[in-house]
Amino acid sequence: MDIKDVFELASPKLFIPELEATNKQDALAEMVDKLVDSDHHISNRETVLQMLLSREQLGSTAIGPGVAFPHGRALATQDLIIVIARSSKGIDFNSTDGKPTNLFFMLVAPPQDSGNQYLGALAALVEKMQDDSLRDAFLNADDFDSAFKALNGEE
Amino acid sequence: MNRQLELLISIQNLELMLRDAEDADNSAEMETMGLKVDTDKIKADLEAQIQEIEPRERGYFNRIKSRVDNPVVAVWDGHCTGCFAGVPTSFASVANENKVLHCESCGRILFIP
Repeated sequence: MDIKDVFELASPKLFIPELEATNKQDALAEMVDKLVDSDHHISNRETVLQMLLSREQLGSTAIGPGVAFPHGRALATQDLIIVIARSSKGIDFNSTDGKPTNLFFMLVAPPQDSGNQYLGALAALVEKMQDDSLRDAFLNADDFDSAFKALNGEE
Repeated sequence: MNRQLELLISIQNLELMLRDAEDADNSAEMETMGLKVDTDKIKADLEAQIQEIEPRERGYFNRIKSRVDNPVVAVWDGHCTGCFAGVPTSFASVANENKVLHCESCGRILFIP
């Protein structure tokens, strides 16, 4: 799965331009709420949130710089879903570099997925987010469309 | 949701995490990304959660797990996603909200996402 395929999974309905949360648990909860509010037929937020919290307890997914990739497989979904969120102030996400995290890509994958899309999507996002200028452009974009144009390297 | 069912779902999700972490290719890719998880930690969390299940449910879970690798599955479109048998519509009734229910065909533990 390349980055263009990953971006096709993104949608304004799964985008939080500015998180209200100020800590890790609330940020994850806010992103899961966004997922539940979307049209992916997931009503049981607690099981998804618990999965993400369990994963974070095993080691932070804030691998930096300023970016976190909370992720995991959940019985509660049939499709790979990506929720994207930003926090201009930054959130303490127990990052590996100790700095606040501003950008979040939450991936929730089904128990089985053909061609291991989940891992491919995660790898493509991690690689893309190593680019400082793209990351900054995404963080500073006014809205979803502008943000994705920035990620695609468009003006 | 029933606390026992919450635990059972969490255990199944951890089992999925362990499956990925024990896959050599997945593990190598995760390590490259800086997202590798220690399998011993997952196993420890799994064991701790399994111990939280009531003995009767734990016994049932272990019996199903000895037969299949996914003892807890979701119901999608009225079907058990373990064996794809139809699930009675009454399954989703309010009266069943606090019960741990099983597929009548394969015995897997079911939940509605």
